[in-house]
Amino acid sequence: MPDRKMFWRIIRRLLAANRGRLFVILLALGAGAAITAALLNLQVDAKRRLTTEFRAFGPNVVIVPKDSSLSTSGTLPESAARSVPIHLPTGSVTLSSALYVIATVSVAPSGKPVSAVIRGSSPFAVVSVLLRSSSTAAANSGEANQPAENACVVGVRVAQQLNAQQNTQLVLANGKRHESCHVVSFQKTGGPEDDQITIDLRAAQRLVGLPDRISVIELRVPGAPSAIETLIADLERRIPEANVRPVRQFTEGEAKIYNRISRILSYTVVLVLVLTALCVMAAMTNVAMERRNDVGLMKAIGGATRRVLRLFLAEAALLGLTGGILGAAVGILLSMWLGKAVFGIAARPRLIVYPVAVALTIIVAIAGAFPLRRLANIRPAAVFRGET
Amino acid sequence: MFIRLVADSFSRRPRHKLLTGAALALGMAVATAALSVSLDVGDRLAREFRSLGANLLVTAQADSLPLEIGGVDYRPVNAGAYLPESDLGKLKTIFWRNNIVGFAPAVEAPVDAWTKSSQTHLTPAVAAHATLIGTWVGHVVSVPDGSTYVTGIEKTNPWWQVDGRWFKDGAQECVVGKSFAARSGVKIGSALKIKTPKENLSLFVTGILSGGASEDDAIVAPIAIAQEIAGKPGEYRRLYISALTKPEDEFGRRDPNTLAPADYERWYCTPYISSIALQIKQVLPGADVRVIRRVADGEGAILTRVRSLLWLVTFASLLAAALAVGASSAASVIERRTEIGLMKALGAGSGTVGFLLAAEQLLLALVGGALGYSLGILLARLVGQKIFGVAPAFSFLVLGVIIGLAAVVTLLGSAIPLRRASRFEPAPILRGE
Repeated sequence: MPDRKMFWRIIRRLLAANRGRLFVILLALGAGAAITAALLNLQVDAKRRLTTEFRAFGPNVVIVPKDSSLSTSGTLPESAARSVPIHLPTGSVTLSSALYVIATVSVAPSGKPVSAVIRGSSPFAVVSVLLRSSSTAAANSGEANQPAENACVVGVRVAQQLNAQQNTQLVLANGKRHESCHVVSFQKTGGPEDDQITIDLRAAQRLVGLPDRISVIELRVPGAPSAIETLIADLERRIPEANVRPVRQFTEGEAKIYNRISRILSYTVVLVLVLTALCVMAAMTNVAMERRNDVGLMKAIGGATRRVLRLFLAEAALLGLTGGILGAAVGILLSMWLGKAVFGIAARPRLIVYPVAVALTIIVAIAGAFPLRRLANIRPAAVFRGET
Repeated sequence: MFIRLVADSFSRRPRHKLLTGAALALGMAVATAALSVSLDVGDRLAREFRSLGANLLVTAQADSLPLEIGGVDYRPVNAGAYLPESDLGKLKTIFWRNNIVGFAPAVEAPVDAWTKSSQTHLTPAVAAHATLIGTWVGHVVSVPDGSTYVTGIEKTNPWWQVDGRWFKDGAQECVVGKSFAARSGVKIGSALKIKTPKENLSLFVTGILSGGASEDDAIVAPIAIAQEIAGKPGEYRRLYISALTKPEDEFGRRDPNTLAPADYERWYCTPYISSIALQIKQVLPGADVRVIRRVADGEGAILTRVRSLLWLVTFASLLAAALAVGASSAASVIERRTEIGLMKALGAGSGTVGFLLAAEQLLLALVGGALGYSLGILLARLVGQKIFGVAPAFSFLVLGVIIGLAAVVTLLGSAIPLRRASRFEPAPILRGE
């Protein structure tokens, strides 16, 4: 097959003829591929991360007893929490059960009693998540992570009223029952938590005498708004005795904001990709057009237009492949690093992005070389005479 | 001669110049669009985040601890301290008054309610015990500087949906929560009777409210009605404020008391949530202004992330545009080796040749950059309209950046081949080697 051998030999020579030119084309194609791969990879990852980020707002779904109204604050069996599916395709659900009690609190042994809401929480360590954002509390969150026996976390306003300090002993009384605890940290959220004392769920249950009962289950469900709705419908079937409702303030706002952000991202990414492709294509065409002389010579020595064209398209495809393979690899590494810069966690590389980016680059390279078709009506004689 | 050479270069090989120009224009269009959108997006998104509702909560400093479970305060109405409603106009006099997008005071009182069909509240057929939340809806506040401002709970709690319509401010009307409506059989248009200390009130139900929390089980009415039942005329227990803020950075989190005067000034004049809270505290005596951290910090975190994400995309597009444009102009210089050789053979110095080519490229950059800018602005408008319904604001900064970038990129792109060109020996080139 001397014919094919010749074909490849010409291509090899075409590529190697001018290293400067080769470098320039590969740079343009590689840059395009890198941007494509990085943006495609980052976009998918960023949308997922954002839904996780939204959980900073706290629980977005609550499960309350069905008959919960002003007159009868009912309770749920603790086992209801076990019917919540923890692992969803979008991530895992964080769950916390709580029992609320109004109790009289005083600083041991003989302080002025104050009425306050006691939140029995399970797991108790969830408190540290609530505190995450508040800077003053951030320092304390380490301690809240280790729920000691009889420990309690006190809202800043309660602490103010009681004049409680770190390690102060508190006595919580509800009728004849009472519990004691010592203050391990304070919480300041600007919400109702500031007026509450958080203790272990068991202690709260002992305090009211309702073992294995809870008044609310709070869920932080990751994922897009539609995924949350599906989960709510599912939970309503699984726990018939309870009322499952979204925290509308956050679910609704989130849905709106999430849609906006994901649209901005998609639009910008598509825009950048299309225009990057056009840029690379224009650069590629520019480079291809200078092949006039070569085409003229080949035609003069008997090359059919189709063959000549195939030769140049093969060259373009080869360039696209090389540029794509190199560029997309750089792009994926880049997106991992960018993910780390923005979200603190490296973006997970998606393998599908790689072939897509390479394929796109090849297409762009070939499309860029396509104006060579016009070279078909070049007259060899004109080229040799040096006419332009 | 110089100008003639440049002009000839453009008119003789229009297609080549067109292609380089097109690459430039497209690249700069990407850059412009991305830059305009990301410059604008922060403010737009901050406004979007107000759909999460209030981020500041005001209560009286002397207030006792609220016994709030699931959004319902179990304290008796006469417990705790209240604040005067008449002060609220002052909120629109603070430094960042235009950043306050809405506020609404609230008074809660437990009431017995029944409908006409059940004659008296002693027959419990449809009688119900509920919380009556008194607040503002479309309330006109008079600001001390003589202007007025309309605000209400629909601004601070935008997720509250009313089926029917909101009550009119100051009328004997109310909306009822959807669970309450289901429980007591109240419909839009019924007259709801409320027991008050003095005489029984009859409220016209104008809508069914669904909010997803305790308000679904409550009656929401004009604040004057709740104040009368609670026996606190002209006073409120809590105030919700929704304010546009700048995400808190390291500086914003510092304790203002420890700042140097110049830094304090800067802190005070930045719309951090904490500085807005301080300014509100200064105009409302006896008030305790708390930042609802859950809303404020979540918002701050997401805004910061999205912003940096968009800056990255912008940067990426600038980079891609720069590389493609650079490659394009490099190619256009490389192919002119013969021309360069001829010029040098005729006695042109390397400097002259470089200057000539650079001038051509700069001219191209200017034209291509300007074209790309207009195209990019159009694109940015399109994207802005599609996403936010508002086109991004025009910015001279973007124009400057784009033209500058176009010039730098073309020059850099041609610099390396130009340097090599200036070292060419004319003879071999002219021989075609």
